[in-house]
Amino acid sequence: MKNVVICEFKRSPFTLANKGALAKVRPDDIVAQVTKNLVETSGVNGDDVEDVIMGCSFPEGEQGFNVARIVALMAGLPQTAAGTTVNRFCGSSMQSIHMAAGAVQMNAGDAFISAGIESMSRIPMGGFNPAPNPALYESGSQAYVSMGVTAENLAKQYDISRDDQEEFAVLSHKKATAAQADGKFDDEIVPIVQGNNRVEQDGCIRPETSKEGLADLKLAFDESGSVTAGTSSPLTDGAAAVLVCSEDYADANGLKKLARIKSISVAGCAPEVMGIGPVPATRKALERAGLELGDIDIIELNEAFAAQALAVIRESGMDMDRINLDGGAVAMGHPLGASGARITGKAASLLKREGKQFALATQCIGGGQGIATVLEAC
Amino acid sequence: MPNESNTIKKVAVIGAGVMGSGIAAHVANAGIPVVLLDIVPEGAENRSVIAEGAVQKLLKQKPAPLMHKRNAKRITTGNLEDDLELVADCDWICEAIIEQVAPKHDLYKRLDGVRKQGSIVTSNTSTIPLNKLVEGLPESFARDFAITHFFNPPRYMRLLELVADEKTRADAMDALRAFGDVALGKEVVDCKDTPGFIANRIGIYWSYTALSAAYDFGLTVEETDSIVGKPMGIPKTGIFGLIDLTGIDLAPHVNASMLDLLPDSDPFCQAFREDHPLNAQIMKMIGEGYTGRKGKGGFYRMVKDNGRRSKEALDLTTGEYRPTVKAKLASAKAAKKGLRTLAEYDDKGGQYAWHVLSRVLSYAAMLVPEISDDIVSIDNAMKTGYAWKYGPFEQIDQLGTEWFAEKLEADGLPVPEIVKVAAGRPLYKEEGETAYYLTLSGDYAEIAVDEGAWMLADKKRGRERIDGNKSASLWDIGDGVVCLEFHSKMNSIDAEMTEMLAKAAKIDKKGYKALVIGNDADNFCVGANIGVALFAANAAMWPVIEQAISALQNALMALKYAPFPVVAAPAGMALGGGCEVVLHADAVQPHAESYMGLVEVGVGLLPAGGGTKELTTRAIMNPKRPGGAMPAIASVFEAISTAKVATSAEEARDMLIVRPGDTVTMNRTRVLPDAKAKALALAEDYTAPEPVEISLPGATARAAFDMAVQGFVLQGKATKYDSVVSAAVANVVSGGDTDIKDVITEKKLLQLERDGFVSLIKNNATLDRIEHMLTTGKPLRN
Repeated sequence: MKNVVICEFKRSPFTLANKGALAKVRPDDIVAQVTKNLVETSGVNGDDVEDVIMGCSFPEGEQGFNVARIVALMAGLPQTAAGTTVNRFCGSSMQSIHMAAGAVQMNAGDAFISAGIESMSRIPMGGFNPAPNPALYESGSQAYVSMGVTAENLAKQYDISRDDQEEFAVLSHKKATAAQADGKFDDEIVPIVQGNNRVEQDGCIRPETSKEGLADLKLAFDESGSVTAGTSSPLTDGAAAVLVCSEDYADANGLKKLARIKSISVAGCAPEVMGIGPVPATRKALERAGLELGDIDIIELNEAFAAQALAVIRESGMDMDRINLDGGAVAMGHPLGASGARITGKAASLLKREGKQFALATQCIGGGQGIATVLEAC
Repeated sequence: MPNESNTIKKVAVIGAGVMGSGIAAHVANAGIPVVLLDIVPEGAENRSVIAEGAVQKLLKQKPAPLMHKRNAKRITTGNLEDDLELVADCDWICEAIIEQVAPKHDLYKRLDGVRKQGSIVTSNTSTIPLNKLVEGLPESFARDFAITHFFNPPRYMRLLELVADEKTRADAMDALRAFGDVALGKEVVDCKDTPGFIANRIGIYWSYTALSAAYDFGLTVEETDSIVGKPMGIPKTGIFGLIDLTGIDLAPHVNASMLDLLPDSDPFCQAFREDHPLNAQIMKMIGEGYTGRKGKGGFYRMVKDNGRRSKEALDLTTGEYRPTVKAKLASAKAAKKGLRTLAEYDDKGGQYAWHVLSRVLSYAAMLVPEISDDIVSIDNAMKTGYAWKYGPFEQIDQLGTEWFAEKLEADGLPVPEIVKVAAGRPLYKEEGETAYYLTLSGDYAEIAVDEGAWMLADKKRGRERIDGNKSASLWDIGDGVVCLEFHSKMNSIDAEMTEMLAKAAKIDKKGYKALVIGNDADNFCVGANIGVALFAANAAMWPVIEQAISALQNALMALKYAPFPVVAAPAGMALGGGCEVVLHADAVQPHAESYMGLVEVGVGLLPAGGGTKELTTRAIMNPKRPGGAMPAIASVFEAISTAKVATSAEEARDMLIVRPGDTVTMNRTRVLPDAKAKALALAEDYTAPEPVEISLPGATARAAFDMAVQGFVLQGKATKYDSVVSAAVANVVSGGDTDIKDVITEKKLLQLERDGFVSLIKNNATLDRIEHMLTTGKPLRN
């Protein structure tokens, strides 16, 4: 079977929804600029691109009309490159990488753009016309449970105190602040330009975050709970994209290689504790890779909530020092459809930067799922 | 809205302090662009920081100076050094800077260099005479200059005093008068160039007299406010509560400026004692930061003890705070029988009341003709500038001119000329359809009614109603138009009112061609009479309740589909059933200060007079709504389930209560005339609306609403019972047992409203809410 590699990783700045610098930029405009830059930087021949696979959690409105195809055309790819939009909520753009990997191994193409987009400013979480199935809802199913409540459930189940969560959030901001100050995002960020508006900096990171400050925040979801806005990932606008190729193609065309995809997985779990999804997904992915958690040097664990991330860390026994070296979603932000490509691309580039061998990227997914990718150095 | 003859199309306000920014906000409320300039503070990086900061404050202030946040966009900010050119195309420039002659003169000279020919310049001064303001300025400037004196806060206080002198152009005054009246909605009173003009001249004397006498008579703060409050037609805060509200630090300034401007012979100068113990107390309070509600507290203050808030009052003799004690003066109770009973009552409250009345009413009366030639202007000024329920001359009539004169004489007090001239006759009288006031000559003069500005009382005078009962009446207001007037207790809806609503839907049978629904009360209608509902529920008279709901629905539907136009003319509160009446009219002609909303969930009910149906159908049929039914009905669900009330007619537009074709009337006295004009316009070629049919999502929407409500319950923002009431609302708004591909009628939605209403009123938690509202006036969060 062909080897699959991640050649390049780019993303837009991640900025706060509604008040951030990208709130007035259309999502297709954001991700088209990221995609165009990805193609140019990587040097891939556009004629060789088989498909643009776009992850998006609420693919309607400005993210509608099969936004992947729209973006392929906007980014200047030749008309021969196809486009498909995929939805696995927060795991959408990691799923787009998995689909590219599967296609390469099926001999169904050599070069894929796996991207993700979400403007949480412009398309509301839940969509414009939410229409849950009333029978399923009335049956007591937790399929539509609010994400905040799932975080509260995990905090209770794993006895994660508000203080623990706040410590975790402070650390996330601290790592992200340091990475930003050291220019560690410079290579991955594509400035987004709209008229005179040029956005090149992440907007969610709060360097001033302190435990005292967080302790003053009101409870966000449950008046008797422990989760606040400060220990949740913020509503975010942003896009991310990676170039996924067969290793043979990358070598033949002299493309950079960040990491090889070693194994992938998805797993279901109870919707009311969807945040624990990374645990079964990671277990499956490691098994398929023939590795133990201890073999993994770099972990990118999406921080939907501090409580959720801590529950995964405790349940699976992850080493805090290997997790989210440049900060996680609590600090960086979490544009639902874009986060999977960001953390997988990040894990790949960290392998190279840190000179390590194995990496894991994993996410929880609303409705009760997890998704995981194991990478190895090329 | 400004009419077409309005010549003031752009305004500048100089000075972005409390008054300047408030005036600018209100000009913006009138739909007129306004420039707001202030000085450049020393060393400021942002040179327009004062004006810009003032607009930011306007957006946050409560009560809101802006009728809608978007009105702020009509205000262009700048500074006097870089942006003076912005006034060049303004038709009216209003100065509201520091109360000193030199800086004002400086500014006028600079304005004269840039302003366009024929533009009007006014000062909002409250203390500087006009003749001093124009001293040394060119004749051409003086011709364009006047005083426009607003009251704080400019959006809410209705009085606008205008002062001109002999040089001022008459057409400039006409323009200001028209703009103040129609565009700004003010009661415009022409004043003479005398100190304090009308309202402050009397008001400052009144305030000093009432406060110092309270001390002299040994009354407590609470006792004083129980007399100089509702019994004397003063806002219910009472006078101590009032000066806490306006700011205690203001008192020494206004007193000093009046003492400075008035001749020593004036009764105010005669009565004022610098060394009065209350003055010393006030100075001490100001020194310690007790400037009223804006400071640490005033004559009252709120204290927190173990998390419990309680109210304290100042002991006037010791100067110390103590818990408030409810006043129990027999005179205050007796005052229900009238002002004279109060003034005659033999306790310290009655004696105090007479002391204040004798001084203040005499003072006002002796100022005719010094401050105004007619008593009507003075009464109007006090009613709209100081929120007195009755003007001083109306109060004298309540006492009786003969009784008043005799009692003054008995006390050795001078009898004012106008009271002597009255010789026992009333100062106001009505004959036939006309009202008159007494002049100094001893003759009565007619109070002319402007066809564009009248209250229903002006149309009722000397006439019989067409029909009516104890809760509502039908009046012929001319030109084939009928006015339906509500006059039940607090204008709440009861069976009698429903009966008149039904009768109003048949006025065409009597040859009338249009209906206006409106009245003169402070509040259009506060909703259904829930006391009656509670009584019926406690007796388990369910069919009676359902019958009452049906009757209201039928009456409102009959009005909606009547073969003639119906125009609702709300002012003040139009809540619950009152809002439902408005929603069933063909058009609304609201007063700008209308507070409308469906608030039934506060008492555990849902709007079942057709209000839920009406908002839902409007939201679905709104051509501007985004695709998908959910955003449209979600906004309706949110508004009803949170009892949202629009705090202005403009805000009611956002809630679809006021529709795109509806216009807003700024002046309260023009609401009914404008509504009548609209009704007549609609009556030409009128056809009743087509029956409405819409599609609603049904169960899926209920699930989505429930998800949201459960989230609020978990967050502690909604109670368990809120979710029960919300579910009943959701059932109607979502269309009940329907599907998005089905079509449903208004009839079906009305049935859903009734079913929901009856199911809720059978719930004890709803009855608890009703009972709590009736006894405390506040909603119960159960």
